[in-house]
Amino acid sequence: MRLSIVGLLGVASLLAQDAPLPSSSIAINFPKDSPVSVLQVQTGESRATARGAALVLDLHMALSLRNSSSNRIHGVTLRVFSQEVTMGGKASVSIPSLDIAPFEAFPVRIDVQLVRPTQVAGGPLVEVNLDGVLFQDLSFFGPDRLNSRRTMTAWELEAQRDRTYYKRVLAQGGKFGLQQQALQSIARQAQLPQVGVRVRHGQAVTSAAMPAGERTAQFAFLKFPDSPVDPVDGWAQLSGNEVRSPRIQVINKSNKPVKYVEFGWLVRDRSGEQFVATLPSADADLLLPPGRTGRVLQETALQFERSGQPLNIQSMTGFVSQVEFADGKVWVPNRQSLENTTLLNVMAPSAEEQRLTDIYRKRGLDALIAELGKF
Amino acid sequence: MKHPSQATLALHAGGDLGPIARWRTERHLTRCERCREEVAAFETVRDMLPGLAQIPEIPWNRLAAEMKANIRLGLAAGECVRGTLPLRDTPLFTGARAAVAFASILALMATSFILERPVPQLAKDERPMAQATGNGIEVSGNGQTLRLMHPGGGDVDVTFSVGAQGTVGARYTDPKTGYMTINRVYAE
Repeated sequence: MRLSIVGLLGVASLLAQDAPLPSSSIAINFPKDSPVSVLQVQTGESRATARGAALVLDLHMALSLRNSSSNRIHGVTLRVFSQEVTMGGKASVSIPSLDIAPFEAFPVRIDVQLVRPTQVAGGPLVEVNLDGVLFQDLSFFGPDRLNSRRTMTAWELEAQRDRTYYKRVLAQGGKFGLQQQALQSIARQAQLPQVGVRVRHGQAVTSAAMPAGERTAQFAFLKFPDSPVDPVDGWAQLSGNEVRSPRIQVINKSNKPVKYVEFGWLVRDRSGEQFVATLPSADADLLLPPGRTGRVLQETALQFERSGQPLNIQSMTGFVSQVEFADGKVWVPNRQSLENTTLLNVMAPSAEEQRLTDIYRKRGLDALIAELGKF
Repeated sequence: MKHPSQATLALHAGGDLGPIARWRTERHLTRCERCREEVAAFETVRDMLPGLAQIPEIPWNRLAAEMKANIRLGLAAGECVRGTLPLRDTPLFTGARAAVAFASILALMATSFILERPVPQLAKDERPMAQATGNGIEVSGNGQTLRLMHPGGGDVDVTFSVGAQGTVGARYTDPKTGYMTINRVYAE
């Protein structure tokens, strides 16, 4: 019996070797009242390939979407998930820093690869849904199952912050000043450490997950004067290259209730290099009235490595990187605070700053100035 | 009044001081009753020492003969136990000895290498895991993987991010659409 199953799987795999996938492998479902409509979907290059005992499914989607609303769209997030793979594993593709006029079309590309040990069952392999649309006035549409509203609002605020900064540099320093700013940013991006990180979420399910030599390490904190939330105390478990179960006590300094706090989490290794992760509060746990304290915590484990070698984590620093108030307003640090704490040197730039410097790198200074003029 | 040290008084009692030191010490002793008593005490002890140095007569010849006999007996017993090949004729590096020596050296080198570079052990865990790979970000578990690919090559700069809630992100400017694109996978 077992032999026949193995044989059938083997024959099926051979038959599937480098075969095109039908368009029914992908399902795209947008709500009927969506402000974004699907004009066209191309999946021509999608294929299934047998690699040893595994089946690799490459799904390439070229979507053409249209803004069917009367507002300008500044961001879109699509939810990508597979019911059959990795226990309902999910992913998202976001396009921030958009400026799509009403009835204007825009392209989105999604390249998904599924690896599974068995043959393909019937039905769509991957589903793509709309998770959210952010408009110019920061209003939002969508089911928001991936917290796209908050995430895209923060990206948009960072984009406004960094565009304003670059425009000021241009006004004060002229073309040469803007060029120097872009070059400095590109140099900083090139010096960011390339570190591999694995992350697992939830309580460990194996007894072997407790490494030897584990210790409790306290966070050091960087504080921003205008932050509505301040860290009070925090710690996490350190063991070799793994950091586990971070917990940070925070106090709400503002006069509005806070429902979400996100920390930047700088982890320093023995050589002094720093790597940044984000530490968000669990949504259900935090509703912080003015003047009250609460805890940001995650049952999680992060493992750091460089070139396949585990890193020895020595210390940690935290700073508030995002706050969402109960009314949906979002706070992000201002440019001055990041410069004063030298965080700009260790953090990746915002998505907008990366986009602007990409424009300078590929199309030159005049293209960058023209792009700044659009907003 | 400054008194000579105990060492100076002891040397004076034994007649071992130099001429100038002896003259100075004698000059002091004429005026100091306490130091004169100290010198007298040292002289008394010095007189007692020759008597203490005498030890009873030891039969050295008989003792030496017994020791020689014991050594010969030990050598004869060793010959009986060891077999025919004398120790001086045994080759220094036989196969077994060389193996033990090399194994010891290897163990020493391995130990010193590990102590010099302590590499932390990776913990095994069966929870779904999110990570960045060469050309994408993925969430995997139970032998299955969901991966979001991004363009490879040197033309596209990809910035990775990680969130403690189990997310990994990749950010890049899509070369075909020209839009900034942020991919994320969730191991929640």
